Formats: sequence, structure tokens, C-alpha cells
Amino acid sequence: MWRIGAFTLLIVALWFVENNYVLNLLVVIALQTMSALGLSLLMGYTGQISLGHAAFYGLGAYGSALISMRLGLNPWLSIFAATAIVAGIGWSLGWLVFRLRGHHLAMATLAFGVIVYVGFVELHDLTGGPNGLQDVPIFTVLGTFLDSDRLIYPLAWGACILTIVLAHNLVHSPKGLSMRSVAENERVAASLGQDVSALKRQILMLSAAWAAFAGGIWAHYLGYLSPNPFDVGFSIKLLVMVAIGGFANIWGVLFGVAFVTILGQLLKPFGFYDVVIYGLLLVIVMVFFPNGLLDGLVTLARSAVSGLRGARA
Amino acid sequence: MTDALQFLFAGLVIGSIYGLAGIGFTAVYNVTGVVNFAQGDFAMLGAMLAIAMMAVGTPMIVAIVLAIIVVALLGGVIERLAIRPASQTVIRGIIITIGLGVLLQGVAVVLWDSNPKSLPAFSGETPINVLGATLPPQSIWVVGTAVVLMVALHFFFQRSYLGKAFRACAVNPFAARLVGVRVPTMASISFMLSGALGAVAGIIVTPIALMQYDSGIGIGIKGFIACIIGGFGHPIGAAIGGLMLGVIEAFSAGYLSSGYKDAIAFILLLGFLFARPEGIMGEMEKAQH
Repeated sequence: MWRIGAFTLLIVALWFVENNYVLNLLVVIALQTMSALGLSLLMGYTGQISLGHAAFYGLGAYGSALISMRLGLNPWLSIFAATAIVAGIGWSLGWLVFRLRGHHLAMATLAFGVIVYVGFVELHDLTGGPNGLQDVPIFTVLGTFLDSDRLIYPLAWGACILTIVLAHNLVHSPKGLSMRSVAENERVAASLGQDVSALKRQILMLSAAWAAFAGGIWAHYLGYLSPNPFDVGFSIKLLVMVAIGGFANIWGVLFGVAFVTILGQLLKPFGFYDVVIYGLLLVIVMVFFPNGLLDGLVTLARSAVSGLRGARA
Repeated sequence: MTDALQFLFAGLVIGSIYGLAGIGFTAVYNVTGVVNFAQGDFAMLGAMLAIAMMAVGTPMIVAIVLAIIVVALLGGVIERLAIRPASQTVIRGIIITIGLGVLLQGVAVVLWDSNPKSLPAFSGETPINVLGATLPPQSIWVVGTAVVLMVALHFFFQRSYLGKAFRACAVNPFAARLVGVRVPTMASISFMLSGALGAVAGIIVTPIALMQYDSGIGIGIKGFIACIIGGFGHPIGAAIGGLMLGVIEAFSAGYLSSGYKDAIAFILLLGFLFARPEGIMGEMEKAQH
């Protein structure tokens, strides 16, 4: 718990940074962490795979934007409505896809992601097609528009830290142990009286809701939407973040998100080289550091230190 | 009616490519248990290499053969460096091969930029008229090559010593090892075979459909869907699945809208996954792990 306190203090301190670029990057990290944490619960802690997580993020963003635009609902209400709807979609998707495992589950979730993306592009009347939606309502507090990085920052990080606390509590609860038992061996878990399918559905629902809420904040902060950020590439990017974080490691995932986001910014001047680096990173981490980059580097450093000591003695 | 025939031909041509990609998946999956998500990128890489070699003046046939050999060798290298060292759990296998695919795309875009490229057609551009539908001669090449390769592979798997060793690994790797089959060598060969198959598919389709660094993703995913329709692990099933998928896609693009083409392929995939996960030819148990 002290970690969350210390982290919250750090985030509050960073709010006073006089640099919009840094603040913008931090807001992006907060929103992607929410989605990546949900994926980590599903993949790391429960042992399932999703290659369509960008769809939940996109459905949350488009859903909240459309509800506020078409029904005239305040964004503060539409974001909760959209999150509830996407949670329902996640739960019902669970009924369908968790009949499958392994490669088949991966493909079914990928199919879900592609179908939703094609929907965003092709349903012109609803989503505006490839041009997207303009003039999405912005959040307001007491008549002030939350239209700058500094003003959206408390909302994004408040939601993100709440997600971290929830994830932390969940994985340390009896439910968290059930999740791990399902990841280890489904049959054993089922024989001990776990309702494996129901548990998987609940986790998918939760992680869909977190991604959708983050997507909703994104939509009402940016003020416009286009389908591109919600393609399969974003699902893969979330996968890279969770893999670098070591799958079942909440702080590791936060590190993974920050690492990939900052790396993406550093590599921007080099054009397409970022794709090479992402691919290489994913392969190297998966082959050599299955518990994540942070864990792998710490282990390497420790063995180097003990090696030095051994050499002296 | 002419329209329908035209769509049918177009579907069979693209379906042959999906079928070849599907057989590439099958070769690797049967021996290693890994689904190689970089399969489509082998196709892209084969075509790009052939284009690059022709651009520096290599005769077409030499460029094509060299490209196929290079991608096959690369398949072997990938198996040795990235697949063998990692302990094989399904999720890790998926993520590693996704990473390899992204890496190959990155290398391709750095070497050959992001513009779509083409190869000259193998035997001219004069369209052939069949019952009122027009076919580019290259489509004969595509379907012909696919059929020849599929028949050859069928005999390879059923009759040759190496092919039988392959199938032994698929049935039971431990038992295969006991009777003296070198399973790791088979794994290497399976990756080389799938690299070569991918490269052939990419090269023969490029004169019809342009190729760019990310074209492989689509070919790979459709090849995988072909495998699921046909029954995972069945080379013949993959070929049939590919043709079915190609034809259904071509008709839905023709009569509905080309924008929904991809969604229809995936709805077909979901339909098969839920209604008949063992595919047309597969056994149920394979779908459950």
C-alpha cells in the first residue's frame, strides 16, 4: 500500500511540471495503463489471451462520444453509460469466446477486434467513417472546460490510480487466487469448485470496462475521434506493454506502458525504425525475460554484482 | 451470370494464396505445436526480395528462386534463434511469432519504404476470355502453382520417408523421438518449408495484387482462417478452407461492399469456431487445446 501512496505523491508532484509535452505524455500513459492493466488481469493473472483489446477502448470512446452527441447527455454521464454497455459486451463476448482456448481463443478475439474496427470505418452514418467524429463534447467542471493537458491530468490519473488500487486489491483477494489457479491449471481449478467460465467472463468484463472508461476520457479530452487509433496495431501494442511488464505484475505493467510510450517518442525522428525495435523487443523479452524486462534486468544486474564479488573473493 | 463467374474466378485465385499460407501454418503447427503468426510476413518478404533483386538487374527466374531460398533459410534461422530457446507455452509461442512478424515488417519498411510494389506478370498481360469472364494470365499461374504444390506436398507427406517422419512428430513427438526421428531437425525443416511456401505464395500473387510491407498480415490471418475452416493440422483441409474463404470473400465484395470484406472473413471464422471448431476435416480434440 505504501507504494501506491508514494506513487500518488509522485504523480501529484509531476502535475506541477511546466511542460505541456511531458504532461500530455503522462496523460497518455495514464489512459493506456488502465487498458493494459485490464489486459494484464486477463492474460497474466487468469492465463487467457486477447488480441482484440483495442476494440473495448474504441467502443468506450465512440460509445461515450455518440451517447453524448446523439442523446445530448453530459459527458460525465455518457462515459459511465458507455462503460456499462462495453462491460456488458465484454461479458457476453466471454460467453462466446471462452468456449475456446489457446490459438483459437487468440484468433476469436482478433476477429472481434477486426470486426469492431471495420464497423468504425464502414458505419458512416453512425461513426463518420474514416473521417471520424468532430466536435465531441468536452468535460466541464463548474463551467470550466477540461480542454488542456493540465486540466485533464487529475481526471486521467485519478481514474488510473483507482484502477491500480482495484487491481492490487483484486489480485490479493481470494478471487485473485482463483484467477491464478485458473491460469495454472483449469481442470484442477474446476475440480476444486471454481466456476472457471464465470470467472473468465467476469475478468473479461472488468478489463473491457477499464479500457472503455479510458477510451471515454480520451474521446472527451481530444474532442474528435477517428478509427485509426483503435486498429489491431493498438491491441498488439498493449500486448507488448503487458509482456514487457511481465504479464502478472501490476507495477511491471505500469513500467511497460511508460517504457513503450517513451520509447515511441524517442524513436519518432527515425521514421519506421520504431517498428523494428518493437518487434525485436517483443521477441527478446519473450525469449530471454519471460517475467518481463524490469525483472530480467534486475536479475541480470544481481548476477553481475554477485559475479564481481565472486571474482574478488 | 458473367459477374458471378468473374467473382468465382477472382475468389479461386485469392483462395489459392490463402490455401498456400494455410498449408504453411499446418507444416509448422503439426511438428512444433506453434502457430506461426509471422507466416504472412514470409510471403511479403519473399515478394519484396524478388522485387529488390530484379531492381538491380537479376533475371526474373533467378530472383524468384533466390528469394524463395533466402526466406526458407530465414525460416530455419528463426526457428533456431527464437522458437527453440523459448519453452513452449501456447501464449508465449503466439507472442513471439507476432513479435517476429512485426520485426520482419519493420525490416521491410526500413529497406524498401512503405510504397506498394509490383512484379511483372509471368506471361504477359493479355487477358484470357473464359465463358464471358476475363482472367489475367497470371491467375492461371497462381492457381496452377498452388495446385501443383498442394499435390506435391500431399505425396511428400504420404509417401516420402521425410514426410512420414514429419507426420510422426505431429502424432506424438515423444514416440517419434524414441524411434529415432530427430524432432528438433524436423522443427527446423518445417519452418524452412513454411518459409518457402510463404515466399512462393507472396511472389505469385504480387503481379495481381500489389505488395507492401504490411500486406503479409492479411495473407497470414486469412491463411489461418483457412486452416480453421478446413480443420487445423490438415493440409488438404487448409487448401479447401482457403478456396472457400477466397470465393465467399469475392462474392461478398462483389455483391455487398468491398469494405465489409474483412469483417465477413472474420464472421465466417467466428461461425466456424463456435459451430464447428474442428473444421471440415479435423478432429474435435485438437480444437480444445
